[in-house]
Amino acid sequence: MTRTSHLQIRDFKGDIPRADAEQLERVWSRPKGLLGWLVTTNHKDIGKRYIVTAFIFFLCGGLLAALMRLQLMKPENSFLGPDLYNQFFTVHGTTMMFLFAVPIMEGMGIYLVPLMLGTRNVPFPRMNTFGYYIYLLGGILLFVSLFLNVGPDAGWFAYVPLSGPHYSPGKRVDIWSQMITLTEIAALVGAVEIITAVFKHRAVGMSLNRIPMFVWAQVVTSFMVIFAMPSIMLASGVLAMDRLAHVNTHFFNPAEGGDALLYQHLFWFFGHPEVYIIFIPATGFVSTIVETFSRRKMFGYLGLVLSLVSTAFIGFGLWVHHMFATPVAELGQGFFTGASMLIAIPSGIQIFCWLTTLLTGKPQLKTPLLWVLGFIALFVLGGLTGIMLASVSLDLQVHDTFFVVAHFHYVLIGGAVFPLFGAFYYWFPKWTGRMLSEGLGKLNFWLFFIGFNLTFFPMHILGLHGMTRRIYTYVVESGWGNLNLLATIGAGVMALSVIVFLTNVFVSRKSGVIAGANPWGAPTLEWGTASPPPPYGFLYLPTVQSRDPLWSDKDSPVIVGLSNTKREVLNTTILDAMPEHRYELAIDSIWPFALALAAGGSFIGAVFNAWAIPIGAALSFLVLSLWFWRGNEPKFLLEGIQHTPSSPSHPSKRVLEETPA
Amino acid sequence: MTARSVIDVSRLPSTEMDHRSPIWWGNNLLLVIETTMFGLIVAAYFYFRVVDFHQWPPPRSSHNPMMLVPNPALTIPTINLAILLLSCFPAYIVDRACFRKQSVVVTLNLLITIALGMICIGLRFLEFKSLQFRWDENAYSSVVWTILGIHLAHLITGTCENALMAAWALAKGLDAKHFRDIRITTLYWFWIAGIWVLLYVMIYWFPRW
Repeated sequence: MTRTSHLQIRDFKGDIPRADAEQLERVWSRPKGLLGWLVTTNHKDIGKRYIVTAFIFFLCGGLLAALMRLQLMKPENSFLGPDLYNQFFTVHGTTMMFLFAVPIMEGMGIYLVPLMLGTRNVPFPRMNTFGYYIYLLGGILLFVSLFLNVGPDAGWFAYVPLSGPHYSPGKRVDIWSQMITLTEIAALVGAVEIITAVFKHRAVGMSLNRIPMFVWAQVVTSFMVIFAMPSIMLASGVLAMDRLAHVNTHFFNPAEGGDALLYQHLFWFFGHPEVYIIFIPATGFVSTIVETFSRRKMFGYLGLVLSLVSTAFIGFGLWVHHMFATPVAELGQGFFTGASMLIAIPSGIQIFCWLTTLLTGKPQLKTPLLWVLGFIALFVLGGLTGIMLASVSLDLQVHDTFFVVAHFHYVLIGGAVFPLFGAFYYWFPKWTGRMLSEGLGKLNFWLFFIGFNLTFFPMHILGLHGMTRRIYTYVVESGWGNLNLLATIGAGVMALSVIVFLTNVFVSRKSGVIAGANPWGAPTLEWGTASPPPPYGFLYLPTVQSRDPLWSDKDSPVIVGLSNTKREVLNTTILDAMPEHRYELAIDSIWPFALALAAGGSFIGAVFNAWAIPIGAALSFLVLSLWFWRGNEPKFLLEGIQHTPSSPSHPSKRVLEETPA
Repeated sequence: MTARSVIDVSRLPSTEMDHRSPIWWGNNLLLVIETTMFGLIVAAYFYFRVVDFHQWPPPRSSHNPMMLVPNPALTIPTINLAILLLSCFPAYIVDRACFRKQSVVVTLNLLITIALGMICIGLRFLEFKSLQFRWDENAYSSVVWTILGIHLAHLITGTCENALMAAWALAKGLDAKHFRDIRITTLYWFWIAGIWVLLYVMIYWFPRW
């Protein structure tokens, strides 16, 4: 490469060009106060915000689930009426999928990926901030509508014709469909951030075969987001057009040649990959936690990576197994049954790699690992019912029953929420600088594990006994009362467990054990900087020589020569991660927030009037122009914002006391 | 103080014009998203054709006399396609001139691209009439109007972006970073033109096939 002629690799004795921590702190910090909070573009701020917001939505969705369990606790209960029950199960499912699961996984990626790559921020920091605000607007829209008693009530999938203009008059479904648009914009924005960061911002030396498993999981997920989310945006968008007065298209109106099944195809072409969009990041948590607590390098790294990639590919080829109760051609049934069973192969490979790593290592049974072990048990159970449901004949028998509810709660809670709790315990010290309590953590785990099984295991049996989904009550003679009561008790235990977790977080944040940079003795780069990390991430950008730099690398060189006076990062080549060029990132800005208001307002307005779209588009373009026109921030916001004109970059000559990280 | 080897990157370039720049990737990933969106709506188009309609396009009974084979008219759409393709030439010159950092050539050709883009937008509004149907008559008309409409949104966005770049060039002049940004917008313009070739063939020629 000709590029290497620009590079100087030197050995310094004592007087290496020093990075200047104070200066970096000034350049990379957000402004003080509420305005600073509004304009920040730091991936750590935005990542944390995603995680906290999504967790609050998890609590809201969980509360709705608890209320539904109270209603189903006994036969012919009158605690919730049918209309409220419909709104609750719709908003519960919608919240858990669109406002909790996807955003929290993406939030983890936005916080952790740049640190694991050894860089300072995501490549498009302002777009990242915009993504968060538009997601927040979508969430607020959904819950405001619920509080106004116009919450969506046609299921989280909003099937036509039920959700069409004839059977769902009013604005409920429109609110659902615009909420989809807002949250999916956020998901797509996050995916572009993560892919580009992984392609271009990796630490020098982090070739493809040295990328941490968590980062692989995030990048594979992001590609799935890019190909899956347009499908739901199209489906919900044209559904809104079908419904909107004066637009009245006929995509799903059979009377004019439209097709209700087309909606199901579009929905599940997104909906099935969605499951993997939630599950694959969770496998990233699992791989990371298993490796750290086994005290050995991951067994079968290549197999794990290939499993993720093949899961992503196969994940796009089995959406029709959600539609076995519709007229699917026999060849199609065979194909989609085969594909659904095929997915067990990469999943199985991953499970065996994790087990082998654990069994041949020296496992330390800390709380994060406990959650991972819980995950393995429950996910295998959920996977087994998954293979059962792939069979058309069995699927037809239990279609729309609680058996299916049990199955997908095992794979989604078992497969994603358990690893997520493990990840909370694992990375909490990095976020806050303090450890969560191990004792409360174990209590949290066991209550959740027991409560979860009490809640969802009986649902398998209820489903086999014929109890259908989405019914607000049932008669005494059905004999379903006892198992339902058991499930409701289980839900109570889970709620207790979440309260233990929240207590643990609030107590430990104030008085937990101080963590230090690397409390678990973990191998990946995010543990190579302080806890919590400074706004600039690393004093010197690190380089790596292996897959587990903090375990194996000795005296890797560090990067010098990046600007101290502007937000500059290093770009590396895609395959080998060799140094390529320096790249200036944008400073904090109010325009992402303004754009979220303009674009979000446009979509929310479209619930009522189609003209909101062109008006909102014009406003958005205006905001984007101001965003592009550099240095055009409102003056009062510039107080404290570091905006330095471009200047030739040179290493600072100031010498600091501390040694490089 | 221990000895430490360092890699000094201060002499690396600070802007790259091509796929080495993250913004190139960001832009292209957004185009992948948009292409997926078009791919799905094209799938919907053929789904309707195969599953729900015996005749494509369906006879137009709302018209008097009834039109049995209401194929979309060709004249204006074909002229518009030609103009859109023509606009790629100045866009290409813009792209090449960015490499050579020729501000005047870039600005001038950008303005020509914008002018041609505006003609395309204007003609597109007439093009809707060529479809023979209003959007709310049947599923066929809904899907073709939606495809034309989404593509129109891209034409407008692309032209607005070009205009923004031209405004910057005229007001502030161009540095390496903005030459790169202009290359990225021309890439978007090529995509807008390229995908329309496929959609044009589908909308206007597939029913005749």
